[in-house]
Amino acid sequence: MVIQLIIGALMIGSVYGLVGLGYGLIYKASGLMSLAQGDMLMIGAFLGLTFYKHLQLPFIVALLLTMLIMFSLGMVIQRVLVTTLLKKGAATVYVILCTISISMVLQNVAMFAWGTNVMQFPPIFKKSVINILGYDLVPENLLALGVAITCMIALHFFMTKSKFGTSMRAAAQDPMAASALGINVPVTRGASWGIACMLAGGIGVVVGPIFGVYMSMGSMIGQKAFAGAVIGGYGNMYGAIVGGLFFGFVETFVSAYLTSNYKDFISFAILILVMIIMPTGLFKEQVME
Amino acid sequence: MSEILEVKDLHFYYGEIHALKGISFNVKENEVVTIIGGNGAGKTTTLRAISGLLGGIASGEIRFFGERIDGKRPHKIAGMGLAQCLEGRHVFTSLTVRENLDMGAYLRSGAEVKDSLEYVFTLFPRLLERESQKAGTLSGGEQQMLAVGRALMQKPKLLMMDEPSLGLAPIIVSDIFKTIKQIRKDGMPVLLIEQNSNAALRIVDRGYVIETGEIVLSDTAENLLKNEDVKKSYSLQLLNVHAVFSNLKRRCEKKLSRCKLEKTAWTFYNCKEKRQSSERTC
Repeated sequence: MVIQLIIGALMIGSVYGLVGLGYGLIYKASGLMSLAQGDMLMIGAFLGLTFYKHLQLPFIVALLLTMLIMFSLGMVIQRVLVTTLLKKGAATVYVILCTISISMVLQNVAMFAWGTNVMQFPPIFKKSVINILGYDLVPENLLALGVAITCMIALHFFMTKSKFGTSMRAAAQDPMAASALGINVPVTRGASWGIACMLAGGIGVVVGPIFGVYMSMGSMIGQKAFAGAVIGGYGNMYGAIVGGLFFGFVETFVSAYLTSNYKDFISFAILILVMIIMPTGLFKEQVME
Repeated sequence: MSEILEVKDLHFYYGEIHALKGISFNVKENEVVTIIGGNGAGKTTTLRAISGLLGGIASGEIRFFGERIDGKRPHKIAGMGLAQCLEGRHVFTSLTVRENLDMGAYLRSGAEVKDSLEYVFTLFPRLLERESQKAGTLSGGEQQMLAVGRALMQKPKLLMMDEPSLGLAPIIVSDIFKTIKQIRKDGMPVLLIEQNSNAALRIVDRGYVIETGEIVLSDTAENLLKNEDVKKSYSLQLLNVHAVFSNLKRRCEKKLSRCKLEKTAWTFYNCKEKRQSSERTC
């Protein structure tokens, strides 16, 4: 029982972590906040569903294709919408408002394209339960966990070992110095938004089979991911993952041992407590002003 | 000798302030040129206007190897081989020393990069010792070395240095100037911006003196060193300048924060007149 719970908590926690990581990436790279991450996850889930169920593509192809499309979507949003807004001299709060509008637009697009019903993702594995070392586990949960961990590791190596990833960190820290070195700062910013959307979309595809795919599936996950990112120290990539896992564990164990009706109430109460006790988050991250 | 960098009648505005009022100068092959001047004379603005970091210029012409570069985006200008060591070092503090240097070679690849890296490490052995340390943990002098090294990693055709001696202990300043001499000996043209005119004029060929956005004097380094006006205006200033400046800055900041507070307060109470008056004092 406990093992299954831990696996479940890890799964949902890393989902929050990965979506939350996108908030941090965007914030670090551009000092802005995107509140559309949850709906990016929803759009990703619908795209994945379409590719997998209706176009009969193999799951891995559907996943990668979705991630590619989501990356482009994020890049376009930053390069076209956000840049235009900033060029017109819009204050940060208007850009945040713009991302809220984007999330509304995405929800409505999803409603038009796929309807308002909860859609079932066809099972990815033949068995509904697999037995590992005597424990019955749901393979879809393991898949989500695996994909989330793979994404985290890949992102870590991309950001620290690749030239472009390093330049993204450099540009986030000191855009002027970076452009004096020949780094195309607008492109690194666009890439940050793209990666954030790509991660959320990819996660959408793997949680689709677990929760079902529907129009508002992103809002709760998006909020909890945001909360996780804040707890971990907003802007800190690794903090967002820890914060997300923290939320996943609290939620899972509260609903298993106390009450599942009030799990959100308790989780968010704990969030407020953490914010009061540790205003800088679990990891002391410098927050931009 | 052909001209590497040619600036003609450069004008630049910060909002309403006319910061550069028709600057003209040039840098030729195989020479080291300095622009000296006091605080707020427009030295840094000149450099940043050239490298495109300030966006568009109001009017004038900037040519690099004969090609117009005004209006180009900064990363394109950097890609053409015009490197800049920014004032105040601007190293990436959360990246390691090695990553900082790698970012210098962002646009380059292949075996040449390794040669440049070796060159930088022979110039600054200290950087090799601290290769895997975060740049933020370095001392001020080491950060300046890193900033110079990072610019050298670009293997530029012209290196522009913005006050490399700013805020460093005298002994480290002399180290930095020795390095500039060495860079010059290795055949790289340098445009050096300095407040420390005495030290700068000793290692350059020619110099320009800038005052409130205008070039007021241009001559060979030797003549400028002898020039009484230059001596008077800058050596005196030099003694006090750091102390005065930091003092002034502190006072300004204090006043500004108080002003801002007042302004917010009056905005809050909806007193338009009072708010405007406090805005004026800001």
